[in-house]
Amino acid sequence: MKNHLFLAFSMLLIYSCSEDVEVSQSSTADAPAKSSSLERDPFESNYKPLESERTLIKSVNLYDGLGNEYSNFDVLFDDGIIKEIGKDIVDNNATIIDARGKWLTPGLIDIHSHMGVYPAPSVRTSSDGNEATSPNTAEVWAEHSVWSQDPQFSLALKGGVTAFHVLPGSANLFGGRGATFKNIPRNIIHDMKFPGAPHSLKMACGENPKRVYGNRGSAPSTRMGNMAGYRNAWISAVDYQKRQNEYIKKSDEAKELVDPPRRNLELDTLAGVLEGEILVQNHCYRADEMANMIELSKEFNYKITAFHHAVEAYKIADLLADEGICGALWADWWGFKHEAYDMVPANIAIVDQARGGQGCAIVHSDDEVGIQHLNQEAAKALSAGLRAGYEITKARAMRWITSNPAKAAGILDQTGTIEIGKDADLVIWNKNPFSVYALTEYVFVDGAKAFVRGEKELQPVTDFDLGIINPSDERASL
Amino acid sequence: MKKLSFLIVLLSINVSANSILIKSGQINDGLGNSFIGDILIVDEKIVEVGKFLNSSSAKIIEAKGKPVTPGLISPISNIGVVEINALDVTNDDSPDFFGPGFSVFNAFNPHSTLIPWNRSNGVTSSISTPGYSSQIFKGMGSFYLLDGDIDITGNADVAMYARLGAIGGSRAETIQIMESMFELALNKDELELEELLGTTFASSMDMQLQDIQALSRVVNREIPLVLEVNRAIDILQALRLKNDYDLELVLMSVEEAPLVLDQILASGVSVIIDPMDNIPDSFDELASNIKLGGILSNAGIKVMFSTQRSHNYHLMRQGAGNAVAHGMTYQAGISGMTSIVADVFNIQDRGSIKEGYFADIVIWSEDPLEPSAYPTTVIINGSEISLETRASRLTERYTDKRDIPSSYKH
Repeated sequence: MKNHLFLAFSMLLIYSCSEDVEVSQSSTADAPAKSSSLERDPFESNYKPLESERTLIKSVNLYDGLGNEYSNFDVLFDDGIIKEIGKDIVDNNATIIDARGKWLTPGLIDIHSHMGVYPAPSVRTSSDGNEATSPNTAEVWAEHSVWSQDPQFSLALKGGVTAFHVLPGSANLFGGRGATFKNIPRNIIHDMKFPGAPHSLKMACGENPKRVYGNRGSAPSTRMGNMAGYRNAWISAVDYQKRQNEYIKKSDEAKELVDPPRRNLELDTLAGVLEGEILVQNHCYRADEMANMIELSKEFNYKITAFHHAVEAYKIADLLADEGICGALWADWWGFKHEAYDMVPANIAIVDQARGGQGCAIVHSDDEVGIQHLNQEAAKALSAGLRAGYEITKARAMRWITSNPAKAAGILDQTGTIEIGKDADLVIWNKNPFSVYALTEYVFVDGAKAFVRGEKELQPVTDFDLGIINPSDERASL
Repeated sequence: MKKLSFLIVLLSINVSANSILIKSGQINDGLGNSFIGDILIVDEKIVEVGKFLNSSSAKIIEAKGKPVTPGLISPISNIGVVEINALDVTNDDSPDFFGPGFSVFNAFNPHSTLIPWNRSNGVTSSISTPGYSSQIFKGMGSFYLLDGDIDITGNADVAMYARLGAIGGSRAETIQIMESMFELALNKDELELEELLGTTFASSMDMQLQDIQALSRVVNREIPLVLEVNRAIDILQALRLKNDYDLELVLMSVEEAPLVLDQILASGVSVIIDPMDNIPDSFDELASNIKLGGILSNAGIKVMFSTQRSHNYHLMRQGAGNAVAHGMTYQAGISGMTSIVADVFNIQDRGSIKEGYFADIVIWSEDPLEPSAYPTTVIINGSEISLETRASRLTERYTDKRDIPSSYKH
């Protein structure tokens, strides 16, 4: 019953605004049983996996994404689902991949991507990642900007990324909704949407909103202006949520006596956060500002899922662990602005190890090159953590690019680990993935070969790539 | 070297007081050789490289088979001239007035936090270059030793930087302007400088005396021109300019170079690339490919490395590592960060582990092309350098579990 409140709002909209009630009803009549035949997610996922075959990966070294490492293990999957994990699995019906000496990991997940909304080539005409026209644009949805032919998807896939979360930019206090995608390039974006994945709300602290709007002579122009902006918006959202819920609770007879409360896209999103259905992904660098954002979340009773970039997360690592907030971080970016000046390379490790290992650390990319090398970024962060005196295994560090981002995207029940019943989103690496020399050999999404190194027909080529330099060629071979 | 200090000459009399013997390192000398050996350093210089070296007075550093390389040289950076990119009061890399005549040399801040950070990650010297400019010629970059000494060691104005391609306006006009500027600098009519500046072209381009002087150094092959260019046909135009004006040319970025590989090879130019940048980020870079480094290097072209992000110039190691993972030879990866940079930019006696060379040397925890590797010893000009950084101080402070305010943890 995800998005219950929004579904209800959609229903109201249809009742109050649409003349086509019957069509709406009939079009959803086949949908799984919900409390109303009109309840549906607008723009819901229409993802269907590629065709796959029953496959047994034999004798592989394995990081399961939960923090464990196994040697010489077998993994069986069928119908896109992991069926069996262990030693010496025998299955006569499966296609066998002998992966002796190689490494298997869950498909990597990036919790902070702008692929599609800032596609390549980076040109004005498709730079659609930030509706920087008002401090609060909670009404916009990143998925409505995604260009399905972005060649960056395939490059990330080759880097082992099987799912990614696309966020709007950070010019606004509330930037809009983010969405999660399976990395199977398709020419309709809803065919890529991760089934059942919740939306996120992108919020941003600090320099960006105050610079963008301050430079225009409007609020916010200071950090205290930022805070006032959030608080005013949440006050409206609480009020909106109350009115909507009051209406929904009315009996059918009572509903007929009053006009339904008017729907508002911006407040839909904020109310979704208050209902716990939309996850807050909060761009925030400085420790003191993150602490303010945590106070703010308590004032209005919502949960922050992750602080993104959070160059100073290490200064409040215990607080983040206590609050159950993930840090989605770079291994080493710094200095490009003042709030990114206090970088320490052990940031990710310190967040991970807070309160005796209770922290939730994520390696994120926010970058079209970085997303292709999340394993290398994790290697740097792990090395810095070891130098800082922590005892962290590679198997644990693998969580930073698999299960932890899956958790922050709200998809951990489907992907992010190698466990029976999970989606067979898997990567076979030719070497240990913490080495710079490691290359992906197979990338499986829902058990299907989405990328196979050296096999041209098993590598996606976007419309953009096709014939653009020479009519008879693809743009660049993977 | 700008610093021609007689103090050093005096110090060098006392040989035994300042010598270091590195024992049993896996030496990658920057020149393509790899061997287990010892390095004897006396004062600023490497005096001997070999096996079973001994010294009764030298400080012994046991490398225990760990990789040893020349200190890395970043061929393009903003070290010392940009502290925080988005804070313009900390940026000294862009001119308001000069074009090609702009020199960053006097802006270098030896106390920049980028210096300890980069050298603790293995970068012992760098070329700091002009940054963003709306002009075609961005100005000249300078070479600096990253010892952090207030008495700066460096070479002023080692190269000119320019770009060609999708930068607004027509690239045809960009080429015309470049040619006109080169013609002016060649001064075939032997005009007085005042007369040169008074020409319609020079005055309409707002050219200053310094601009013409700087371009003269380019057309007289005193300094290389580093030209950022990507589209295949633009690369050929750049090579034509090299021929027409007899330039010492270095190509930068060159994401479509594989399409004109033979021509680049025949021209003898060297290149600076970011091997990890495989994004077709503009319509000039459609052929962008992660295999670029290997393709160029294996064809016989000298390849150096830039990094995508500011501040972390040591990440050229990760770039080189990725290039090697995609076909470049390992030693080409090492040389591209050391001897090739010194060679291309006329940095004398650095960039290789060789007798008589300055002792800029790094001992690594593991293979330096692995992102997880870090230096355990950094030596610049024969002196062991502290690996402490502002980041290491912050790390210590925030991993100190004492229950007192962090402001008192120091």
